[in-house]
Amino acid sequence: MQNARDTFYVTLRDRLAAVNPARTMVLRGVVRPGVLVEENELASAAVPVNAFCLRWTGLSVDAQGPLPLAAMTCEISYATDGDSGNGGMDRGRLLSAMDAELVAAVSAAPQSVTKRNYVGAAAGSGLAPVAMGTNVFWGDAAFGAAVVNGERLERVAVVEVFCYQEAGEL
Amino acid sequence: MSTTVTAVGLVGAAAPVTRRVRAYFAPVNRAAGAPTVFDAAQMGTFALNAPPVPWVDLGWCTKFARKSETKIGALTTGAPAVVQSQVVTQMEATVQLEFESWGKLQLALAAGSQQMNLLQTATGAAANGSGGTAAQAVPLAAGSGSTATSLNVGAAAVAQFQVGQLVSVDEDYVAQVGFVGSGVSAAYVSSPASVGGDINYIRRVSLNVGRVVSIANGALQLGAPLLAGAPPSGMQVSPLMGFVDREGGGFFQEWSGLFVMDGEQGDRVIYHYPRLQAMQGSAEVAEALAGPLEKMKLAGAFRALPVKDANDGEMVLCFRSYLPGAMRAV
Repeated sequence: MQNARDTFYVTLRDRLAAVNPARTMVLRGVVRPGVLVEENELASAAVPVNAFCLRWTGLSVDAQGPLPLAAMTCEISYATDGDSGNGGMDRGRLLSAMDAELVAAVSAAPQSVTKRNYVGAAAGSGLAPVAMGTNVFWGDAAFGAAVVNGERLERVAVVEVFCYQEAGEL
Repeated sequence: MSTTVTAVGLVGAAAPVTRRVRAYFAPVNRAAGAPTVFDAAQMGTFALNAPPVPWVDLGWCTKFARKSETKIGALTTGAPAVVQSQVVTQMEATVQLEFESWGKLQLALAAGSQQMNLLQTATGAAANGSGGTAAQAVPLAAGSGSTATSLNVGAAAVAQFQVGQLVSVDEDYVAQVGFVGSGVSAAYVSSPASVGGDINYIRRVSLNVGRVVSIANGALQLGAPLLAGAPPSGMQVSPLMGFVDREGGGFFQEWSGLFVMDGEQGDRVIYHYPRLQAMQGSAEVAEALAGPLEKMKLAGAFRALPVKDANDGEMVLCFRSYLPGAMRAV
């Protein structure tokens, strides 16, 4: 299931970067696309703004078929304070722009991608990820209500991500 | 240059997981009784946005439901009776779906009978449910070189048209009897008297319609190719306002249908019905959006008619093809 999570994250990151290349963030001194997986980063109480933060929550497995079918819930939270140059008065527009970017990335066809194993490609090894035998696929994003938190606007969208657990895969 | 061969194990053949159905349409030659045949062995992997000729894209569909009404009876002998064999006592199959798009073709297929064009009426024409007497049509210029997407009507006549207008392009009705309509048989005329000798009748029922997207050099440029291809110069062009179908009417449209479900694992299921006819009148389904808003979807229900499979002479109603994903166990 970790392979599916990694694959979904990389796919979403690349699609969001294509939709809006200007959405970047600085994380541990590195400029990168404005998408992160919460569990892969240092624990922090700070909420990143103007970026998408992925959190894996629910998990269920249907073991009745020839391959176990895993259904994982991915919560995608994002927030914006608006542009300080505009006194934050454009925070609604900026949240709306992030909504649209997420729709474009999640709902663009195909809503599936070949599952890849990134273990060998980690830590700057330079190796390419290994394509696996099944696809990761997902549904449309379900958007929660926009929440006003002080001067900040926040929203959480939920995407159900599916994958088959291949033989020997952990 | 070297070639590396990597051994990859087979993956279990999981049940296809699909989202929706893509529908395609192709004409049946009614006079010859010849449907359009789809060969999944040759064309099954086509890109959904680029169906092979002559199939026409109908867009996405939902609530696709196919039902086999074929009945199998038991042959019994003895006392007490014991089933000794089985026989097919009746062959029947139906298909139901809801179109996610509204257009001439979707309306035509979901209509129970003729699907008509609301031709622009002549000045002072008496009111009529399916459109009054039509305005005079505009002929294509002789030797014009009109194509499926460009209608050359000449510099003088082009002023009668506007960008954005819908047009019906077909031949005049001059006492033809039988199936009429270019590209697709749109109606059956039993006698000239039954249609009042209306010179515009074929354009009134024709599925050979298009939208004018630009006008230049005496030619109307259409947004999509005409169903019947490049029109001969004898055809004429009638502006139209929209489409109308009727509850009632005795004509059964017939067409070849193709329904494709793409699986999320790279597999594909294809349903090919060589002959389909509508089995209900025009109907819609309202899907609630929010508050008072509803999305109106065309609802179609069709009955399949048989064809003979050239491989073994069996009479069949539907071909279901399954193209497994790569390296799946079979």
